[in-house]
Amino acid sequence: MSIRGLFTPITKIRRQVFEEIARFAYERDLKSDDFYYFYESPYRIIPGEVAKYRDSVFKERTIIRERIRLAMGLPLRPTTSYQNLTDGMKECASSKKQLELPLVTVIPFACEACKPDHFKVTNNCKKCLAHPCTSVCPVNAVSIGKDSAIIDSEKCIKCGRCREACPYGAIIRSGRPCAEACGAKAIESDELGRAKINQDKCVACGLCIVSCPFAAIADKSEILQLITAIRSGEKVYAIIAPSFVGQFGPLATPGKIISGIRELGMDYVMEVSYGADIGSIHEAEEFMEHVPDEKPFLGTSCCPAWASFAKATLPDYAYCIADTNTPMVATAVKIKEHDPNAKVVFIGPCIAKKIEATYEDVAPYVDYVITYEELMGIFSAKGVELTELEESEFDVEASADGRNYAVSGGVANAVINTVKNRDPQREVPVMKAETLAECRKMLLLAKAGKATGHLLEGMACSGGCVGGPGTLSAIPRASKDVKAFADKSNFKTADDNIYLNIKK
Amino acid sequence: MAKKIVVEVCTGTHCVLMGSMHMMDSIASLAEIREEMGSTTEIEVKAVPCLNLCKSGTRGPFVIVDGKTIPQAEADVVMAEIMSHCNDECSNCDC
Ligand code: SF4
Ligand code: FES
Repeated sequence: MSIRGLFTPITKIRRQVFEEIARFAYERDLKSDDFYYFYESPYRIIPGEVAKYRDSVFKERTIIRERIRLAMGLPLRPTTSYQNLTDGMKECASSKKQLELPLVTVIPFACEACKPDHFKVTNNCKKCLAHPCTSVCPVNAVSIGKDSAIIDSEKCIKCGRCREACPYGAIIRSGRPCAEACGAKAIESDELGRAKINQDKCVACGLCIVSCPFAAIADKSEILQLITAIRSGEKVYAIIAPSFVGQFGPLATPGKIISGIRELGMDYVMEVSYGADIGSIHEAEEFMEHVPDEKPFLGTSCCPAWASFAKATLPDYAYCIADTNTPMVATAVKIKEHDPNAKVVFIGPCIAKKIEATYEDVAPYVDYVITYEELMGIFSAKGVELTELEESEFDVEASADGRNYAVSGGVANAVINTVKNRDPQREVPVMKAETLAECRKMLLLAKAGKATGHLLEGMACSGGCVGGPGTLSAIPRASKDVKAFADKSNFKTADDNIYLNIKK
Repeated sequence: MAKKIVVEVCTGTHCVLMGSMHMMDSIASLAEIREEMGSTTEIEVKAVPCLNLCKSGTRGPFVIVDGKTIPQAEADVVMAEIMSHCNDECSNCDC
């Protein structure tokens, strides 16, 4: 079981931090260097004297302080020497894009140092006469101790037979929620047994952040920089990912969400599904041209966590990941061609996009990345009541296929349709995987030559982008909403989209 | 006559930020389980726009169970409230 997708006190705290920063960003005097506000923040978020979540309110508040720093885009403070809470805030409180890696970090003293994956005998053990656990263990790791069975973790090979054999269900498997969520196997331990992210392996899918029951992992945000840009009169264009539908509440229709974003002072709102349409055509052409002769298979490029994971896992096949701009980049490029002075903010479900936006070839086009959760914090801080707004529309529409990029299977489907538009005879066999653990299996099949001629759709999040860590809506509900909005498009496939050829 | 409990969940900006969408999902799943268990009380979950209660400084989400407003609603409190409303006239199930 995982807490992913449930609303817990942790979700609440995370969102309150976003709201807190957004409120500051809107209310502060742009010329002032006063950050006293943040000394009070932890008391607003964790009121009272009685600890609700941890051993003491002091610790809770200290963790909030680090979360605030991260959410402002700052690094954690050292735990072994003194640093003022507000150090660095002056520099980061500008519209300058400045996100620095690592993006995803463990707040060390918030981590409970959960024991890595192991089998454990619980107190349901009756020390029964039959004790089948000892006889089924192939490596002789289970013995009967004074009060209960004991598993020797040195010997244990985690086959799980004892657990199956126990008539009382007394043996459980337990591990670290963060490590279990991490398909890239990037979670290691520090000298105190606490989680530590191996940054060479981390692809910033962000799933550990939403899976840790102690909220010990967090990423950095660009809320402050975005709002500062808006307030200092920059022309900010918002581009919103295909999974946005329904993320801001059942009554916040797409039209109201668009109005809400305008209300925040962003001049222009565009759907990233438009960039998905550009991508579908490019990817279809790449597929038709190169597969299987030059490239045995083609991996989709839109999910940055999957794309970088695939390249790291099978470096020899890195060239088989499509060379197509991600929908985010394609959309942003379109905007900057039209208005080079614009600032572009990508709003999406994704944390890996924050890293993608730091890539050398992407950074000039995408200035900020924020998640739906962060945007909701901004709406709340600014008092934008989505349900009360009039509906607006996107100026430029995307196709149904482009809008369906948000749901697993949607990308492959869009590419197939564009291939078929060009050559109805051409078959496009597809393999797809959601979650990096599944993607790894798919890559191994590809390496073994089992994917020749295939299109490989990889998604780091289960369900596709609707399952991203920055979402607010549950996956089934979100998938339904995305499909309903796709059905409303006037265009079925990317090729039908009349807006692709006009110059914006 | 089957009894009906109306649960209104605020889905204004502040309340959604504070988790009201998940609250709706939990109530819907409670309604489902109760139906499976043979309860005759119908639970209707409604999403309503901002109730304007958030403006006073009290935190959401706000949930109204048959007219009774619950601020800073947590799932357990809301469920208990719903169950207590079921109990009154429910004879068919063993809640
Ligand atoms: S799940 Fe959280 S508390 Fe447990 S080891 Fe991972 S980071 Fe630490
Ligand atoms: S958003 Fe729920 S009362 Fe205003």
